[in-house]
Amino acid sequence: MHELLRRLRFLFHRADYERDLEEEMRHHLALLEEDGRPDAAARRQFGNITSVKEASRSMWTFPFLEQFVQDLRYALRTMAANPLFTATAVLSLALGIGANTAIYSFMDAILLRGLPVPHPKELAIAEWHSPGRPGVIRGLNGTANRYGKSGTLSPNFPFAAYETLRAEKDTFSTLFAYTYAQNFNVITGDQAETIQGGYVSGNYFGGLGVPPAAGRLLGDADDRSGAPPVVVLAYAYWQRRFNGNPSVIGQSILVNRLPFTVVGVGASGFFGVDPQTNPALFLPIHAIPTLATRPAEEERTRFLDDHFYWIEMMGRLRPGIGLEQAQAVMRARFRAFAAGTAATPKDAQVLPELSLAEGASGLDTLRREYSKPLYVLMTMVGLILAIACANLANLLLARAAARRREIAVRLSLGASRGRIVRQMLTESVLLSVAGGALGLSVAFAGIRFITWLLANGREQFTLRAELNWPVLGFTFALALMAGVLFGLAPAIQATNLDFTPALKESPLQGSNASGRRFRPRLGQALIALQIAVSLLLVIGAGLFVRTLSNLYAIDVGFNRENVLLVNLNGRQAGYRDAALARFYSGLLDRFREIPGVRAASASSFPLVAQYVNVTSVVIPGRAAQPGDPGVNLLHVDPAFLETMEIPVLLGRGLKPADLASPAVAVVNQKFAATYFAGESPVGRQFSLDKAANPLLEIVGVARAAHYNSLQEESEPVVYLPYTQDLGEVSELFFELRTVGPPLSVAAAVRRIVHAANSSVSIREITTQAQRMDQTISQERTFAELGSCFAALALLIACVGLYGAMAYTVARRTGEIGIRMALGAQRPDIVYMVMRDVLATTGVGLLLGYAAARFTMRFVESFLFGMRPNDLVAIAAAIGILLAAALAAGYLPAWRASRIDPAAALRNE
Amino acid sequence: MRSRPEIPPGTLYMLILKSLARIGPMHGYGIAQYIQQISDDVLQVEEGSLYPALQRMLIKDWVAAEWKQSENNRRARYYRLTPAGRKQLIREVGEFGRVMAAIARLIEPA
Repeated sequence: MHELLRRLRFLFHRADYERDLEEEMRHHLALLEEDGRPDAAARRQFGNITSVKEASRSMWTFPFLEQFVQDLRYALRTMAANPLFTATAVLSLALGIGANTAIYSFMDAILLRGLPVPHPKELAIAEWHSPGRPGVIRGLNGTANRYGKSGTLSPNFPFAAYETLRAEKDTFSTLFAYTYAQNFNVITGDQAETIQGGYVSGNYFGGLGVPPAAGRLLGDADDRSGAPPVVVLAYAYWQRRFNGNPSVIGQSILVNRLPFTVVGVGASGFFGVDPQTNPALFLPIHAIPTLATRPAEEERTRFLDDHFYWIEMMGRLRPGIGLEQAQAVMRARFRAFAAGTAATPKDAQVLPELSLAEGASGLDTLRREYSKPLYVLMTMVGLILAIACANLANLLLARAAARRREIAVRLSLGASRGRIVRQMLTESVLLSVAGGALGLSVAFAGIRFITWLLANGREQFTLRAELNWPVLGFTFALALMAGVLFGLAPAIQATNLDFTPALKESPLQGSNASGRRFRPRLGQALIALQIAVSLLLVIGAGLFVRTLSNLYAIDVGFNRENVLLVNLNGRQAGYRDAALARFYSGLLDRFREIPGVRAASASSFPLVAQYVNVTSVVIPGRAAQPGDPGVNLLHVDPAFLETMEIPVLLGRGLKPADLASPAVAVVNQKFAATYFAGESPVGRQFSLDKAANPLLEIVGVARAAHYNSLQEESEPVVYLPYTQDLGEVSELFFELRTVGPPLSVAAAVRRIVHAANSSVSIREITTQAQRMDQTISQERTFAELGSCFAALALLIACVGLYGAMAYTVARRTGEIGIRMALGAQRPDIVYMVMRDVLATTGVGLLLGYAAARFTMRFVESFLFGMRPNDLVAIAAAIGILLAAALAAGYLPAWRASRIDPAAALRNE
Repeated sequence: MRSRPEIPPGTLYMLILKSLARIGPMHGYGIAQYIQQISDDVLQVEEGSLYPALQRMLIKDWVAAEWKQSENNRRARYYRLTPAGRKQLIREVGEFGRVMAAIARLIEPA
C-alpha cells in the first residue's frame, strides 16, 4: 500500500527524480575517474548510461501501463490522421455490434433472463401431455399446445389434482397455483378502466418469495370460499394509479362492480410468472365464482369437477431435489389421481402424463412464440458483424502493408516483435472499443425500433428488452473479440517480414519492391466473402418482403380499410341479459349518428384476429359425418355483413327484427358447399353442438370471407344474431365503417360511451387493418428487420469494397501514371480497375448463391405463398448486389482514370 | 576480457543491505567498492544492476536516501538502512543460509 503511494509520488515529482538520478550517475563517474581510470574506459565500464537510467526509472513506474499509454496516444494520433479510415472502421463495427446487441437484448429478455424472484432455478412448472385427447378431460380452459403429431401438451389441471399434488410435501416446499391473466373493469374513485389481472393461490407470493412493497400479500386464509374479498396491486399499477400512496391499503376498489379491499402491493419489478403479461391485480383463486356470471355453477365446475382442467401450477423444489426426481414422484401421484377420475375402462386407457419443466424464466409462452425467429435474426446480425469484422481486418491489412517500411525500421532498430504486435493490437482494440461504444447507441435505437415493430400497435405489450449488465457485457466482449481477433492476423503478418527488401522500398513507390500486386490475396478473399454473405442476407430479405406482400395481397372477402374497432364489456359494468342487449344496441344507434360514420355493427370478436369459436353442426335427418371439423361461429349485430361489405349471394342478410326472434342464421359459401352441396341451403334448418339444441333456419348465404387468420382459407362460417343466447353475451367488438381515417372518430366514440355509462371502460380502440396486421407481426418484423439488415450488410460490404479499391488505386498511382504515360487511355484504366472489382464480386456472388441454396430452407416455415428458392427474390438480390458493387468500385476506378501521369511520375 | 564470477541471482539485495548494515550510510559507488574489496574482487557489482536495485529498495522502503556532502566535498546521495530493511536483511540472510546449507549437503560427499 505504501509502495503504491511512493510510486504515485514518483509520478508527480518525476523531474526531481530524474535530476537526482542524473546527478548520482555523474557522481559515480567522477569517482571512477578519480580512482584513476580514463574517462572513456570509465564510461565503458559503467555501460550505457541511458539504459541504466531507464532500468532505474522502470523500477518506479508501471512499464506495461506506461507503454500502453504510449501505444494509446500513438493509436489516437494515427486515427486522427486518417479520419476516413477511422470512420469506416468504427462505423461498420458500430452497426454490426449495435445490431447484435439489440437482438441479443431480446434474446436475453425472452430466452435467458430469470424471473425477478429469489433462487428462480428452484422453480418448476407442471404440465401434462398425452398422445391423444384423454377421455378423463371433458373441459379445458387455458392453453393446449400440439404435442407430437396429434397429441396435446397443456399446463392446465383440475383443482382437485392441485390439492392432491400439494399434499406431497417432500418434493416441493411450496406448490402454488394461478390462472392466465385476463381483463377486469376496475373503478377507482370515479374512473373506470380495463386492466389485466390474474387469480393466484394463497401461497403464491410466499412460494415465489416475493416481498410486499407495502401492506401484506395474499395468504392461505384469503384464498378460500367465503373469505372477505381482497386484492393485491402490482407495484407499477400502484405507482401509476395511486402515485405510490400507502394510504390506498385498506381502501376498497371496484372490480367488475364488486368491492375488493386492497391489502398490499407486490415488490417493485415483479410481474407474475408469465413474462408476456403484466397483471396489475392479483386476486385469490377462490374469488373466481364471486366474479362469475353464475357463481354457483362456476364454483361447481372450478372446484368440484375433476374433469375440468383449468388451473396452472408451479412449485419450488426442496433443496437437493432434482427436477427428474420430483417429476418421478409427481407423475406417479398424478397418474393415480387421473386414473381415479376415469368413469369407464376406456377412459382409463389414455391418461394425461405429468411432466415438470424448468420454471426459472417463468412460463414459456413468449419463448414458444419467439425463439425460432430470434435464432434466425441472431444469425442475420451475426453475419452482419462478420462482414463488419472483415472490413476491419481488411482495413488493418491495407494499413499494415502501407506501414511495412516503418515496421521494418523499428524491428531493425531493436524493437521486439511482441512490442510491435502489441502496439498494433492496441490500435485495433481501440477501434473496436470505439465501435462498440457507438454500437451501444445503435443498439439503444434498435431496441426501441424492434419493440415498436413487435408491439405493432398492441397497447399491453410487455416484452422487456433493455440494455442491462449481461447485455452490456455481451457487447463489450463482442467488441474486444473483434478487435483482438481481427487485429492479430494483420499484426502478425506485418511483423513477419524480411527487412531488407522492405527497407529498400521507397515511401513513394507505388507497389512494393518484390513486384507482386499490393493487394494481398487475403484481402480479396475477404471482400468476396463479404459479398457472399450480403447476397445471403439480401435474398433472405427478399423472401421475407415477398412473403409480406403475398399476405397483403390476399383477398380476405371483406373490406378491411376504414373500419374502427371498439372493444368494451357492458357485463363487467353490471348489465345483464336484455338490459345488456339494450345497452349495446343503444350504443350502436349513437355510433351510427357520428358524422363520418357510414355504418356500424358489432360482433363477439373481430374477423381475422385469431379468434375462433368452433362447434359441430347437426342437420335433422342426417347422421354426423366422421371427421367433420365443425363450423366457425360469429355472433353479430344484423348490420355486420353490410358493414364489413360481405355480399349476400342467396336469400337475405340478417335484419334488425332478427334480434328479437333470433332462431335464424346466415351461412357462408363454404358452409353451403360442405353441408348442402348441389342444393339451396336457404330455408333449411340445423342445430349447433347437439340435436337437443334449438333449430336455426338458414335465411341466406354470404360470400366466403376469412375468419380466423390471413393464411387460412375460408372455413364454413355461421353468422348468428348475438342475442341468440343472452346469458352468454359478454364483451363486444364494435365495427364502425368510416368515410375518412377511422381513428378520427375515436374521440366521439369515447364521448358517447362515457355519456352512456361512465363505469364502462373502453378496452381497446384500434382499426380493423391494424388488428389484422397484428396477426402477421412476425412476418412484418421479418420483412422490415430483414430489409434493414440486408441494407446494412450491403452498406458495410460496399464501404469495404470501396475502401479497398480506393486504397489499391492510391497504392498503384505510380504504376497507373506509367501506363498512361505509355499510352493507356482513360477507359483502359477504368476497365483495369473494374476488372478486379468484377472478378471479386463474381466469386462472391457464386459463393453466396451456393450458400443460399443450402441455407434458405431453414426459413421455409416463415414464408407464405412461395418456395425458398424463389427465382424473383434470388435474381433481384443478385442484381442489387451487382449494381451496388459496381457503384462502389466505379468511384475509385474513375478517380484512377483521372490521375495526371506527369504528377504521378514526379512523385516517383 | 577477464571473466568475472557473477553475483548469484537474488543475492544482490542482501549484499547491499549487509554492506549498509556494516558501514552505515553510503553512496552507490561506495557500496559497489565495499562489496568488491571485502570479497577480494570476486564479487563485482555492475552499475547497471546496482542503481535499479537501489531504486527498487527505495520503493520497498528497505533503504532511505539523502543528499549529503561526501568526504571529498561532493554532493552525493547516501543510502541508509531502514528498520524494514534491517528486518529484510535478517530474513534474506536466514533464507540464504538455509539454501547454502542445502546445496552444501548436496555437493559434499556423504
